[in-house]
Amino acid sequence: MTSHLDLRDVSVSFNGFKALNALNMSVRKGELRCLIGPNGAGKTTALDIICGKIKPSAGTVIFSGTPLQDLEEHEIARAGVGRKFQVPSVFRELTVSENLEVARARRTGVFDNLRWDLRNSGREHVERLAELVGLTEQLDRPASYLSHGQTQWLEIGMLVAQDAELILMDEPTAGMTAQETRKTAELFARLKGKHTLVVVEHDMGFVKAIGDIISVMHMGQMLAEGTAAEVEAHSDVRRAYLGSGGISNA
Amino acid sequence: MSLNVSTSSGLQRLTVQLAPLLIVCALVFALPVLLNNDFLLNKVARYLVLGILTVSLGLSWGFGGILNLGQAMSFGLGSYAMAMALKLKTVPVHTGADGLPDFMVWNNVTSLPWFWEPFRSLTFAVAAGMVVPALVAAALGWFMFRGRVTGVYVSIITLATMVVLNLVIIDQQSYTGGFNGITDLAQLEIFGVAFDAYGRATYYLVSGCVMLSLLVAFAFTRSRAGLIVQAIRDHESRVRYFGYDVALYQIFVFALSAAIAGLAGMLYTVVMEFASPTFLGVQLSLSVVVWCAVGGRQSLVGAFLGAVLVAGVQGALSESAAFLETWTLVMGALFVLVVLFLPKGFAGLAQAVWRWIVQRRHVAGQEVTPGVSQTEGST
Repeated sequence: MTSHLDLRDVSVSFNGFKALNALNMSVRKGELRCLIGPNGAGKTTALDIICGKIKPSAGTVIFSGTPLQDLEEHEIARAGVGRKFQVPSVFRELTVSENLEVARARRTGVFDNLRWDLRNSGREHVERLAELVGLTEQLDRPASYLSHGQTQWLEIGMLVAQDAELILMDEPTAGMTAQETRKTAELFARLKGKHTLVVVEHDMGFVKAIGDIISVMHMGQMLAEGTAAEVEAHSDVRRAYLGSGGISNA
Repeated sequence: MSLNVSTSSGLQRLTVQLAPLLIVCALVFALPVLLNNDFLLNKVARYLVLGILTVSLGLSWGFGGILNLGQAMSFGLGSYAMAMALKLKTVPVHTGADGLPDFMVWNNVTSLPWFWEPFRSLTFAVAAGMVVPALVAAALGWFMFRGRVTGVYVSIITLATMVVLNLVIIDQQSYTGGFNGITDLAQLEIFGVAFDAYGRATYYLVSGCVMLSLLVAFAFTRSRAGLIVQAIRDHESRVRYFGYDVALYQIFVFALSAAIAGLAGMLYTVVMEFASPTFLGVQLSLSVVVWCAVGGRQSLVGAFLGAVLVAGVQGALSESAAFLETWTLVMGALFVLVVLFLPKGFAGLAQAVWRWIVQRRHVAGQEVTPGVSQTEGST
């Protein structure tokens, strides 16, 4: 099967520090790929490169046959890439439904959006999304009233609303309770197949629950790729995590 | 911003949001019935114009998150556009050929400069009074927002740009009237109606423009584009990763705000009967920020009332010797207090009180008739 997302020899450095050093990764369509690795391995940087937040100094990013590395962020988003940030990023003064409404970016031009929606035509869709992420009760409250876990879910809901082909998630379960994490894993299982997902995660329980193939990064490079069992048995991976007692405790 | 329970229809919500706006407009229109004093009405008209200017700042600052400290630049451009047209309509006693403005004669200018020519047409002047500020804002916005300049840097750039224009106007005395501005203007006349600064017609013209600007601003903030602009205020990069070109939205709201400020500037010339470099001065520009913050920058009606009431009180107090000097202190203290205790201004306070009343009524009503729809909100 041809790959949906392809990173080829991607390098980037900050003040001489090579955050990514000829990184290669390819993800199939509909796959849920987990990206793990010790702190500073370049996981978040890899997501930043894909969504255009950082421009690579070398290498190419191909998504659905389109090179992304020279496009601006909004152009990459329009090409079908969605991104959830590590620090939950929502519109705090807007209500939950307004947050979801903005994320449903069917039309992106200024003049296309100079219109009123008196019949509230998107309401039904927004209500369905809110149900999916368990925020039905909060629909008309400002996002600043939400708990940390709820804010995380709102942003995940916004990415579902955006309906991007490729969804990049940076530590989606950070700050969530065990129960919330389990519900998130269920949600991801539903997104898999319809969307291609790349998830950066530290919680190995979560990774094992959702991931097909796990990519392990170390010092800006791809160290190993495979199923959870394969990766855990990999000698290089054990060495990279040396002293932390295997990746389960990472 | 509004809080709504899902049972309320869009139309119902619209009514609730529009109500304060329409009530304020009705009061503005009804005032001449109560206040039969042309001198005072002229003063009120002046405050109403400043209200429009403050609404324009609320649009870019409160909704777009762009604190334009040079908002008075657009106001001044509009004011000069109107003054230039009205100057060319005067029949001065001591002029040169072709009704050359008096100050040009004094400065040994012999023919009308090219950029004054089109202002022989009032239609052109009225259009220019809004289009020129909008274009200047769009150009400035293009550089700032494409370059991702944000926050305090936007404020510094806008303030500096205004100061430069102010200095140019003062410096180019032979073309602009310099420090004295443009005085001795003809009366504005549209379709045979003469707008005497102290006449009812002018008051109603200003009132009509108050309503128009409030409605246009309201329509924009209620649109999807208005929602996206507010999202940009809250989290700029988040909006970008949904595929919106953030800079274009910022440029749009910046230019719309400038056009409304330009309209206010034109009216100010009609009401004051002159244009002056102080109309695009730092003092006025900063006062607008204070009025906007006190009234409530995220509320159009709040920003409008903030300007009208604070400027009105200022006008009344500064006539007494005791307050002439201390007024600046009073205003500064008011600003500090509002920033500290009412981050959303008096409009935010009013909204909180209204929400509390509705909630209490809702709780009380629930015991008798469960399922009463609850609607809250304000413009």
